[in-house]
Amino acid sequence: MSSPRTMLEVKGLAKRFSPRSGQAAAPWILADLSFHVAEQEFLTLVGPSGAGKSTLLNIIAQVDGASEGEIFFRGKLIETADGAALKPGWNCQIGYVTQDDNLLPWRTLYENVTLPLKLQGRFDATGKARVDDLLRVTNLSGFQRYYPHELSGGMRKRAALIRTLAYDPPIILMDEPFGAVDAQTRTQLQQDLLRLWHRGGKTIVFVTHDIGEAIALGDRVLVLSKSPAKIIAAHNIGIKRPRDLGNVYRLEGFGELFEAVRKDIQ
Amino acid sequence: MSIAVARPLPGRGRVRRLVPVGRVAVAIAGIVLWQLGSNAMGAEWLPGPAEVVARIWQLTISGELARDTLVTFGEAAAGMLLGGSTGALLPFILRLSPRLMTALEPLIAAGFGLPKLALAPLFILWFGIGVATKVVFVASIVFFLMFYNGLAGILSVDPRLISMLRVSGASEWLISREVVWNTAKPFLFSGLKIALPRALSGAVVGEFIAADSGLGWYIQNERSLNDVVGVVAGAVIVTVLVMAVNAMLQRIQARSLAWRPVAKDMAL
Amino acid sequence: MLTLFYETRAMNTRVIVDRMIVLALVIAGWELCSLHFGTIWFSSPLRVLYRFGEEIRSGDLFFQASYTLKAALYGSLLGGIPAALLPFVLRRHPVAGAILDPYFVGGYGVPKLALAPLFILWFGVDIAPKVALVASIVSFLVFFSTTAGVNAVNAQYVSVARVFGANERDIARHIVWPGAIPYAFAGFRVAAPYAIGAAVVGELISSNRGLGFMVQSGATDFDTTLVFVSLVTLTIIVVVVNLLIGLLERWLLRWRPPQRHLAARVAGT
Repeated sequence: MSSPRTMLEVKGLAKRFSPRSGQAAAPWILADLSFHVAEQEFLTLVGPSGAGKSTLLNIIAQVDGASEGEIFFRGKLIETADGAALKPGWNCQIGYVTQDDNLLPWRTLYENVTLPLKLQGRFDATGKARVDDLLRVTNLSGFQRYYPHELSGGMRKRAALIRTLAYDPPIILMDEPFGAVDAQTRTQLQQDLLRLWHRGGKTIVFVTHDIGEAIALGDRVLVLSKSPAKIIAAHNIGIKRPRDLGNVYRLEGFGELFEAVRKDIQ
Repeated sequence: MSIAVARPLPGRGRVRRLVPVGRVAVAIAGIVLWQLGSNAMGAEWLPGPAEVVARIWQLTISGELARDTLVTFGEAAAGMLLGGSTGALLPFILRLSPRLMTALEPLIAAGFGLPKLALAPLFILWFGIGVATKVVFVASIVFFLMFYNGLAGILSVDPRLISMLRVSGASEWLISREVVWNTAKPFLFSGLKIALPRALSGAVVGEFIAADSGLGWYIQNERSLNDVVGVVAGAVIVTVLVMAVNAMLQRIQARSLAWRPVAKDMAL
Repeated sequence: MLTLFYETRAMNTRVIVDRMIVLALVIAGWELCSLHFGTIWFSSPLRVLYRFGEEIRSGDLFFQASYTLKAALYGSLLGGIPAALLPFVLRRHPVAGAILDPYFVGGYGVPKLALAPLFILWFGVDIAPKVALVASIVSFLVFFSTTAGVNAVNAQYVSVARVFGANERDIARHIVWPGAIPYAFAGFRVAAPYAIGAAVVGELISSNRGLGFMVQSGATDFDTTLVFVSLVTLTIIVVVVNLLIGLLERWLLRWRPPQRHLAARVAGT
């Protein structure tokens, strides 16, 4: 049974898409996937690219439906296989940072970041203050009136991140958000993320194909298999925080964990 | 097949089967509305479907339809040949000298800017009201269309392919033939496909202004006689003709998805 | 089509000199034709220039041009605005859209210019049939352009927006509408020369005013100078209108990354 401190519980999730013409049945993308996420935990999921990680997050965020299984959010059942009953974001309780930054190109940085708050009717003094604070912490103040095409890749990623943080959802799903930037920017972004996570007391489910990143960021790492994906291993990451991400490879215990996870993936 | 709403048919099963039924329903409703409109506004203003069909039948039997259609078609075809060949060739020549291209740019832009249809009276002044005028008129329309498409095709050539060939010692002639021609070909064919209906339309318009035969002349003649049925019948004939040509060309290029009504290959 | 010459760029002296040379050659060639064949067929550069000045001074050119432009403008708005809004409506009723689709395509295939005499018969000889003709042409162009824009809406933007609380109206307003506007604009830009051309055709067939009328009456009177003056005016108008719409577009859509210039791309080959 789910304990009171479990934020998210996934039970026996399975997914396949509708078969194409000529196919008897489509292959399963996810099969018998189960795991749980505790409050304020930073959980990382690592697995080979194309294994269905994005699909999994889509289902949790209620952007897509599952074929089988259940999902509980703070003890309440939220998953439904009926497409019409999906509630994306589950009343803005579940944030979702996608792989592409998906900033609306016709809005300035500030307009993009404040859009969720405006749509939710929460763009009041507190909301504004939070946005300004987030802009400051991520070094984006001063760029409010720039359009996305005028910003660098790293800045757009940050903007996408604080767009979600601005409306303060308790749990945030992240789909390989730092994949498409250079190594230095990525380290910077990772540090920003950890800082924001710690300050805000959020729960984060972070998906990546980079084992090093998964270990460096998470409290716990789950390993996904190839398609049909299921959890094949879980490791607690004992490395103390705050972590020096610039030297993550030299942190105590990193090497063993890395090896262990790599073997799991084979 | 769907172009305007370019996505798969919505809904499942029952809803999907509704669509062809809906289309037939709309067609029937259209004809009924036509008849009702004719009754309401009087046949002097809007002749009913039956009258129009009767007139078309009359024209077919008397041979007028065939004669006029042939004239219009002939003008369109000759114009396409003249304008199409020159229009398609020019970009390839211009390509060889970017400096010339840049220098000619304002001239070319002006050429695109001018509505070719406005040239009709000038051509009539120069060539009279005979067939030659219409041919030149159509040619001017088709020329710009094919030039534009040829140009777009040449612009889409990947310069890296050309550099690669140059490095391996290929002659300019070979490069033109291999890379440039092959890249530009689909654009040119696409242009031809658009050109034919335009050529027909252009021939008809040319005949509106001055002619003594052809479908456009027929329509204009009927208008001057205030014979509404004739005008509508003529309009229907031209419409059916152009749409038939369109449909035929579309079937010929059925596999290509580049056929979209609003594409960069629109020019006059 | 004038989109190929979309961006103006800094000119260096060689380009300017080249273009001056071309212009000089064109004028010289014209003068030669005029001398050889006679001014009645070609008029001459000087005469056209003088006549142009005359027409402007007398205000006549302005009067005729504004008639044509009025027809083109009214027709474009009358046809273009409903056509730009329709795809948004059809987006919410995809079945209706699917049913009507072949009729839209078919309607586009109908040669509207060939129907000009019909319009004249129905709407009279004043400005109305020209407006109707322009509207019928512009509406299809704008409709298809805008539909392409509505269909091109980025599904990811929609998903992400749903996750942070957008409802259907928010999505239409903040994502579909801004995303489709550039396409609608492109439709108007493509349609502009056709709109003017259609107004002219309407005037050629039956009118007593407008630039088309000027061309027609000039030709009938063997007043070639007037014909050329009107043609030049028409060209200038179309180029200017295209430029203006381009500028408007660039201002409204300044969130878009800029696009490359024609000759630079050709030089690449």
